[in-house]
Amino acid sequence: MIDIEKEIQKDRRAFIKNVLSGTIAGSLLMVIPAGAALDGAIPEQIPGVRGDHSPFLKNQFVFIVDVTACIGCGSCCVADKNEYNVPDGNYRTWVERYVIDDHDEVFVDCPNGGLDGYTKPRTDIPYPVRDTFFVPKLCNMCQKPSCVQVCPVGATYRTEDGFILVDKKRCVGCGYCIQACPYSARYLNPVTKTADKCTWCYHRVREGLLPTCVNVCPVHARKFGDLNDKNSEVYKLLREPHVISVLKPGMGNQPALHYLGLRREVV
Amino acid sequence: MSVAVHGDAVAAAANYIFPNDLHVHWSLMIVLYPYITGLVAGAFIVSSLYHVFHIKALKPVARFSLLFALAFLICATWPLLNHLGHPERAMSMMLTPNPTSAMAGFGYIYTAYFIVLVLEILFIFRPTVVALGQKATGFMKMLYSVLAIGSDNVSERALKLDQKIIAFLAAIGIPMACVLHGYVGFIFGGIKANPLWATPLMPLIFLLSACVSGIAGIIVTYIFLMKISGRKIDVDCVQTLIKFLWGFFILDFVFEMLEIFSHFYMATHHWHTLEALYSGPLFTSFWVAQVGVFSVIPFFVLMAMSLIKFKDSLLLFIAPIVSVMILIQVLLMRWNVVVGGQLMSKSERGATTFHPMWFEKEGILPAILIMIAPVVILWIIGKVLPFWMDDDGVETA
Amino acid sequence: MEKEYKSKYYSHVVKIVLIFIVVGVLAVVGRNYLLPDTMGQYGHYRGSDLEDQRNVEVRSHTNESCFECHRPIRLIHKAGVHKTVSCEFCHGPYADHVKDGKYVAKLPVKKGMEIKELCLRCHNKIIRARPEESIKVVAMPQHLEEMKVQVDHNCNQCHMVHDPLLWIKAANEMMGMEMKGDKKN
Repeated sequence: MIDIEKEIQKDRRAFIKNVLSGTIAGSLLMVIPAGAALDGAIPEQIPGVRGDHSPFLKNQFVFIVDVTACIGCGSCCVADKNEYNVPDGNYRTWVERYVIDDHDEVFVDCPNGGLDGYTKPRTDIPYPVRDTFFVPKLCNMCQKPSCVQVCPVGATYRTEDGFILVDKKRCVGCGYCIQACPYSARYLNPVTKTADKCTWCYHRVREGLLPTCVNVCPVHARKFGDLNDKNSEVYKLLREPHVISVLKPGMGNQPALHYLGLRREVV
Repeated sequence: MSVAVHGDAVAAAANYIFPNDLHVHWSLMIVLYPYITGLVAGAFIVSSLYHVFHIKALKPVARFSLLFALAFLICATWPLLNHLGHPERAMSMMLTPNPTSAMAGFGYIYTAYFIVLVLEILFIFRPTVVALGQKATGFMKMLYSVLAIGSDNVSERALKLDQKIIAFLAAIGIPMACVLHGYVGFIFGGIKANPLWATPLMPLIFLLSACVSGIAGIIVTYIFLMKISGRKIDVDCVQTLIKFLWGFFILDFVFEMLEIFSHFYMATHHWHTLEALYSGPLFTSFWVAQVGVFSVIPFFVLMAMSLIKFKDSLLLFIAPIVSVMILIQVLLMRWNVVVGGQLMSKSERGATTFHPMWFEKEGILPAILIMIAPVVILWIIGKVLPFWMDDDGVETA
Repeated sequence: MEKEYKSKYYSHVVKIVLIFIVVGVLAVVGRNYLLPDTMGQYGHYRGSDLEDQRNVEVRSHTNESCFECHRPIRLIHKAGVHKTVSCEFCHGPYADHVKDGKYVAKLPVKKGMEIKELCLRCHNKIIRARPEESIKVVAMPQHLEEMKVQVDHNCNQCHMVHDPLLWIKAANEMMGMEMKGDKKN
């Protein structure tokens, strides 16, 4: 039991150190603002973007979700909710759980969009489970976006650098884009009464930061990068032979969101 | 589903709805919108049958149906405005219409149609208005003067000019009524993400059901108004309306069934979702109500009424009943398309549910109020422009 | 004899045409006033919305932002297998803690059985969809039985939450022992 004693000792020392530095740092912070600007506060994650004030970036961003890596922890959903204060019951991103039994029946669920994680196994599967996996979903950032096509007032649009955004000062809240999106990525925000959806964290990307869901994913199942950068992971994944696909390719929307290891059961 | 091949594996094995699909965004208001514009387009076509195609038997309702169309057209935007998250921004649709949006044209098509309809009414009613204006005093005199567009000239020469303009307006009015309502169908038919909506037949079905509902609406209101005011009903007119109703309803019903049948026959992966929808959540409202009760029964009743010579009293007894059934059929059709289409999740694996509430913003009560409004407006219009009067300001019938 | 009228036979038509011209001109002029300033600058949308979109508040930061102040945790967190876990996932967004460089509120620290819940959110073996390559999963309470500890033990009694293997490794080193799990890791 000596080791445990030592551990406690060690922990106590760490704790005191923590308290001291925390207090000191905390009290210092009360007096000296650490600077509101992000420069310096957060290290740049996408090189060469911060400080670029041109309307559109030169980068060609793509998003890749690795279905084979996702553990369904829902960190991404929590981060997303934190970043945007998404009203309950609406989802900018969500994580689906697929269960396939050995009779090839597919069972999918997504309680509260995966926001609370997956803590219970499904109990309604009649046969032994053959395969099970998680599939995170978000805005597909289509190159041929249906939502932009149908918006009657030009409140939702595609930027030249590939982001599809909603102008909440102009959206009339008709809901046509919600009907038109093949991926159900959109919802009507009950607070602003305008259409809302995932933006791939446009405001973060413009600051040289990764989308918040990519930043928090502990298993690197969400990858965001620039196809113009030949050394980027996304470039390598997309340009080299991999099992990679998009959702509902038959819709012809040409998403910029790709899935690594996507199974055919996924809609 | 014991052996799963490619398509089967994605079929609805368990009810899974995308989290954002739980809520039905387009509810009662968007059911009413095509219903009201349909009544407008249909009533206008009744009037055009007389004014353009010279179906003389329809003379008694020719003027009335224009006013009927106007009353409903005034209210056509109300459900939309009530539905919008930001109705105060509605004018953006006119200000910055997105050329690629199927919805952006509505403001313009609606306005253009409104102008044509109002002009046609003003020209047709001008001699009557002038005659009434001479008898009226005070405010009414002023109103009639405005409605006569500040002209008291009802000379032969003036009326001849008016006739030419009326013929022109009625002629462009028909394609416009078709565009107005075919276009409403296209708003749904152009949404590829929704397999129940995405069919080129959608504009056609909307247009035909519009004609059907308009004619039925005219029959009901004509007989009702005649009865309560103790006037004599023109049986020949009702008989002719019934024949047209049957004709349009044959086309309407056949195309509605063809649409389902072609989905079924082509059996793409969408059919698996649609099949589940039609045999599940939509079974009662579609197969039982819309098809079984309110299509098949009126279909045969209308057929009998058109082919067999009924006694006048029997004809006038059945005509409003069958017309009301048709009106319900069209309302059910709007419901099954608008709400039904949204019940299917885009997950292709399940359906959500929808039950309208009474007192919510887009609930049943607002819907009823919006449907009562055109009737009230029609009554007010009737105080100014009498429905059953001819050019000299003399009561007809 | 033809009746005399005050108006010409075409006067109402002329009036209508005039009304149309006036309304048309008003609409064209009015439109220019009502259009948003930057509408159509880059496409069929309000160009200045790009600026609005960029000005959305960054509420979640990265772990580095937290480590600026929380130094000791930084050393522990970055050294362990939990280095990829976001601070904000367990503690909440940075913006709720620091505003304009100033401390505004305390972020929650999970306590007691909340910790176990949080651990099992990711490490629960019963949720079979978790790829082995991504995460180490345990079955409960078998894991506790196997490790010969009481089944009501909380995870953080053995695992330091910021570096789950920290104490275990240290203990093994001291005892000069190798544990089953260690060989794998």
